[in-house]
Amino acid sequence: MGFLVVTVAVMLLVLFTFYSGVRLVPQGYKWVVQRLGKYHRTLPPGLNFIIPFVDTVAYKVTTKDIVLDIPSQEVITRDNAVIIANAVAYINILSPEKAVYGVEDYRIAIQTLVQTTLRSIVGEMDLDDALSSRDKIKAHLKNSISDDISDWGITLKTVEIQDINPSGTMQSAMEEQAAAERARRATVTRADGDKQAAILEAEGRLEASRRDAEAQVVLAKASQRSIEMVTAAIGEKEMPVVYLLGEKYIKSLEQISKSQNGKTIVLPADLPAAVKGMMGKL
Amino acid sequence: MEIEILYWYWVVLGVMLMLSEIVLTTFFILWFGLAAVIMGALTYLFPDIEVSWQILIWTVLSSALALFWFKFLKPLSIDKTKAGLSREAIVGEVGQVISVPREGMRGKLRFPAPILGADEWMIMSQDSLAEGDRVRVKDVSGNSLIVEKA
Repeated sequence: MGFLVVTVAVMLLVLFTFYSGVRLVPQGYKWVVQRLGKYHRTLPPGLNFIIPFVDTVAYKVTTKDIVLDIPSQEVITRDNAVIIANAVAYINILSPEKAVYGVEDYRIAIQTLVQTTLRSIVGEMDLDDALSSRDKIKAHLKNSISDDISDWGITLKTVEIQDINPSGTMQSAMEEQAAAERARRATVTRADGDKQAAILEAEGRLEASRRDAEAQVVLAKASQRSIEMVTAAIGEKEMPVVYLLGEKYIKSLEQISKSQNGKTIVLPADLPAAVKGMMGKL
Repeated sequence: MEIEILYWYWVVLGVMLMLSEIVLTTFFILWFGLAAVIMGALTYLFPDIEVSWQILIWTVLSSALALFWFKFLKPLSIDKTKAGLSREAIVGEVGQVISVPREGMRGKLRFPAPILGADEWMIMSQDSLAEGDRVRVKDVSGNSLIVEKA
């Protein structure tokens, strides 16, 4: 009877031993095992056996990428502008034992580290640089915290700056500046247009006067030519002048008759006599 | 007190244990079940074994089976996947030096394909390296790799 009880007890002990000794670690995790309170080894994914009573699984650490939200914070740039920046960091635990024993809480540690490093990097940049060169900030950030996190067995895969915004007052000042800049450009453009218009107008006037002068010269030349031709045809000294005068006289009469005021036009019957009379001689 | 255990008790117990393994997935109940089935065969052949001895033999047999599995069979089925194991994925990889580490400055290395999200990594090394050397990753330190000549 006593032997039976002992065997059953032994059986239960074996059962419990196996129950607490066999450990199935899921893929994507590593378990840190302590032997009597001291680090012993790290269990890889899959079936593992630890010695019950002495070994305990102290930490279960994920080896998948961890997405860390870096809370937004106020950062002062080199030219004393305040901007608000937040980021997101992707970290991966390479050595779980270093991560759990090297730092109290690696998430908070890295969050704070990224935050302070971001602040110091942006602090060395001017506002305009900080707003435009996100990639530079990213690379710089990754390099600067590499050494700090190396003791924790963690690698920083990437840091992305999510938002980088000027603070409220800064934003309104920048908008005002942009608006003023546009207004300045508008004024310049308008003045430029006015100037161009004035120049063109003056040029037009100059050109017109030049043409007028030319026209007068051409007219004078034509008169000269016509007098010469008439002189050549008539061959006398005074007659050509009389002829031309007479012609002009008739033309003006014609024009008078065409005018709306003129009702009756009487042509002198003896034209040469009339011309003679006007000339007062001959 | 006289307890009689028939051979098929053991077989039924064994099958029940092996079935429960499907639900529980502890991977040790299976060996207890298998041992119970073997015990059923033993008691069928030798019905005179005492109950307490039967339990003892069962206990020893199941432990032996489980230990045999862990000792000899499990090492044969090593899982080679590196999914989710970043350290294992990068250690042993070979890349090319594109800038040599100098005093106080880290060098740079390029992998043929991105590993852990980047194809260019900073490197540190004990060996004296030249540009274009092929190097093997020994360890990772933060965002830098410790390398040796391949």
